[in-house]
Amino acid sequence: MILSILILGLPFTASSQTKSAKTEKIRIGTAISLSGPYSAGAGMTQIPNYNMWVEEVNAKGGLLIKKLNKRVPIELIIYDDKSDIGTAVKLVEKLILEDKVDLLLPPWGTAMHFAIAPVVTKYGYPVMGPTVSSEKLREIAHKVPYFFGILNMPREQGAALVELLDELGVKKVALIYVADAYGIEWTGKVAPELGVKKIDVEILKSYPGDVKDLSTLLKTIKAAEVDALLCMSYPGDTFLITKQAKELGLNPKLLYMGVGVAFPVYKQMFGGPDVVEGIMGAGAWNPKLPYPGAKEYFDRHVKRWNKEPDRWASAFAYASLQILEQAIEKVGSIDRKKIRDCIATETFPTVIGPVRFEGGFNVQSPGEIGQWQKGEFEVVAAKEKRTAKPIFPKPSWP
Amino acid sequence: MSPLLFLDIFIGGLMMGGLYALIAVGLSLQYGVARVLNVSHGEFIMLGAFATYSLYLLFGINPLLSLVITGPFIFFFGFLIHRTFFKRLRRLSPSLDAFEGSSLLASFGLLFIIQNVALLTWGPDVKGYSYLSKTVNFFGAVYAANRLIALFFAILIGLIFYFFLMRTRTGKAIRAAAQDVTTAQLMGVNIHWVLGLCFGLGALMAGFAGSLTSMMFEITPLIGLPYTIIAIIAVVLGGLGNILGSLIGGLILGLIGNIVMYIHPGLSLIAYYIIFLLLLLIKPTGILGK
Amino acid sequence: MNRVTRANTKKILYSVLLSFLFMLMVIMPLYVSPYTIILLNSIFMYIVLTVSWALFSGPTHYLSLASAAFFGIGIYSSAILGDQLPLLLVIGLGGFISFLLALLVGLSSLRLRGMYFTIFTFGLSELIRHSVQWWEVNKTGTVGRWVIGVDHTTVYYIMLAILLITLVAAYILKHSKYGLALLSIGESEEAADHIGINVNAMKIITFAISTFFMGATGAIMATRWTYIDPSIAFNPLFSFMPVLMAIFGGIGHIFGQILGASVLTLLADVLLTKFPYYYMLLYGMILVIVVLFLPKGLTGLKEEVKKWWGGRAVK
Repeated sequence: MILSILILGLPFTASSQTKSAKTEKIRIGTAISLSGPYSAGAGMTQIPNYNMWVEEVNAKGGLLIKKLNKRVPIELIIYDDKSDIGTAVKLVEKLILEDKVDLLLPPWGTAMHFAIAPVVTKYGYPVMGPTVSSEKLREIAHKVPYFFGILNMPREQGAALVELLDELGVKKVALIYVADAYGIEWTGKVAPELGVKKIDVEILKSYPGDVKDLSTLLKTIKAAEVDALLCMSYPGDTFLITKQAKELGLNPKLLYMGVGVAFPVYKQMFGGPDVVEGIMGAGAWNPKLPYPGAKEYFDRHVKRWNKEPDRWASAFAYASLQILEQAIEKVGSIDRKKIRDCIATETFPTVIGPVRFEGGFNVQSPGEIGQWQKGEFEVVAAKEKRTAKPIFPKPSWP
Repeated sequence: MSPLLFLDIFIGGLMMGGLYALIAVGLSLQYGVARVLNVSHGEFIMLGAFATYSLYLLFGINPLLSLVITGPFIFFFGFLIHRTFFKRLRRLSPSLDAFEGSSLLASFGLLFIIQNVALLTWGPDVKGYSYLSKTVNFFGAVYAANRLIALFFAILIGLIFYFFLMRTRTGKAIRAAAQDVTTAQLMGVNIHWVLGLCFGLGALMAGFAGSLTSMMFEITPLIGLPYTIIAIIAVVLGGLGNILGSLIGGLILGLIGNIVMYIHPGLSLIAYYIIFLLLLLIKPTGILGK
Repeated sequence: MNRVTRANTKKILYSVLLSFLFMLMVIMPLYVSPYTIILLNSIFMYIVLTVSWALFSGPTHYLSLASAAFFGIGIYSSAILGDQLPLLLVIGLGGFISFLLALLVGLSSLRLRGMYFTIFTFGLSELIRHSVQWWEVNKTGTVGRWVIGVDHTTVYYIMLAILLITLVAAYILKHSKYGLALLSIGESEEAADHIGINVNAMKIITFAISTFFMGATGAIMATRWTYIDPSIAFNPLFSFMPVLMAIFGGIGHIFGQILGASVLTLLADVLLTKFPYYYMLLYGMILVIVVLFLPKGLTGLKEEVKKWWGGRAVK
């Protein structure tokens, strides 16, 4: 009985938190996957960028708050959402209601973003998502005005990919995809486009996310002698397909895979950059891009973390932080509504180029496809953004 | 279906099956003899994979050679865990059922602990390396060298273990304990030592499997649990407590998985579970169980 | 005061205390911070899952690991029907569909005992998860689904109601002849059969009733997550946690089950926010320590302390 009274008391004690005066520190909170299946992505794409940005800003003295005529340092609060949506939602609410943070940074992954979008809108916290890419977002975008998607969307990515295939004269493709929301959506966008361009889809198959062996499927594809193999894949399968395609000598003229190709570990893990020469993947960013600060950002990241940022969402994550900083400066204070309105209307120079949001979506970065060339992930689509010409056909496996 | 394709599916299935068999035998030793349904079994696989990876990356040690290095450590680790936790738990439990329940719980705690330690040590980033990924021509069909080697090693380890079980005195003691712990004790078997040995051996098998899989698949702190589940299915398939049965169970699962994968990739796991459930309903004692 | 009046006075005292507690719970939303309500919702959810799990598995020793399946059905009821039917109906349906499934499961697994029953239920739960996933991927193309949101306070009161009903049901069952019947099934199923207890009927019906609450809880808690997919809804963790919590708190008493669920949920919340990088380690260690040193769970703590203390006094 005594114990039950004690238990009752705990929520009350847990809810007493020290409130920091706004003028002393700006508290930015994030519930993100430090453990669980999403932790690999979060640990590569977002967490290092969050930490590095906070360090850089604090080195300057903090965020510039014009209304107070001074810089205020940032305090970053990170919680682990365990790659669990229920926990993530609860922690975001805890950050807002209990820790009373001034600003929020998003978690990792499409599902997580979907879950917190209504929450951040309800409490009025502007958030830009760097690791959400789903057409479903368009359906609900008008309901979540405080949520912005900064990463390229499947519709544009798919279009860019098919454009590229058309340009290179690809006629027959095999399309395989991971049996998950990601794979289904992308295939749903790419397959009809291929039909429009009269590109023949010889093989169309899905595979489960935990697949351990795709050799039988890949052997069938090899026998079909297609021009291009497109895989809407996640890191685990991306690596598996790369390994097995090499082992089996499956060498289509064009090899495209989804998430994972842009990872820094990708160019090393198969024995060196020459092994992945010519492989294409989702997204593209590299330090050679002509945007101010791009190369410096890359170098800083390497210096600070002893590893490269990934060649896709990392830069978008960092860009979203740049936007946040600039918006705060423009508004002059931490007025979340004004910051939200500023983000929604203005254009911001970032490491991924000048970013502008329309209807909650970044319109600066439409389809972007990259290809590994001599150890660098060159941008080969869209045409206007190219940092190098696409290598076609793909050289044989060394 | 062409005979070549059939052979392809068959051998491919056998390659995964060999790994599953190794893992299942490990779990069978832990459950069949020591009566611990060790849900953290897969974490030892993960540790083996990471250890091999680290040795390869830092010192350039051949992954197959590292089996010799990592093996004793993992065995000792498993042995120690049994001697400290499960032995005490067994002493405290009023009945075998209660012990099975509480050891299940304890192994959960172990799972959390090991995973978190791995996460802290190696970080969440996906890791992998390439070793022996050249292909080998085998009766006209093409296979990755590392998978064939993995199958070879799995068979080798299985044979060595079989020999150990059948021809040595310790092996006899293990078989006795697997049949009936009390009688074995009465017969003079130092039961706690044997149980600890079995647990350690089970961990060792998992560690070996981990080293072998690290050559072929991605390495993260999370790779353990799916293997544990397959091991549990294989052990039930072969008959709870029957070590040879779990070996066969593992092979069968590998084969079925590959066949179903060919028909419709998304259904492999579902097929596993359906077989598993049907077996439990029709013949719960498994293929080789009595 | 003789023993009977003392027992009665105790009962009256407890009832008064409990009613007071309940009234406190009812007026809580007016006085505490919104986050406390959110936390309490989680605690209520786990208490219901734990107590309803222990309803069947406690006395009979048939450890079911299928709670996630029933909880998930509730979640999916909300996801699929939430925008078409009124909330309370959806909750009821979630519970009812779980109930029906549980009847099927119970009927099919009658012959299984001990560990076989346990892994059967686990396999079934996983089969359901993968099957729903396969269906969503290949047939409906909607791997993820949105759930209509409901505000915290409404969720709180509904959960409070479900909690109350579950606790009352558990209490009544335990102290009825059916509760005794379940206990005897747990002790010796053959003997129970011989005395004339309809073992099969008891097992199946109790199991099914327990899952009703799980389904109902799933239906209302889904509204907190806004976005669900099969791996979220049928997460095996929802099968394991109630077992852990019940054993942790003391599986023999309803109070122990409540305690286990509350403490572990609260602990998880605290550890998660205070030690983001170590909480799994700490959680695991606490689990191992409790299993090793407190075989009867937290409710056994008093006993263990007495034993230890008594031992010292003797020295």
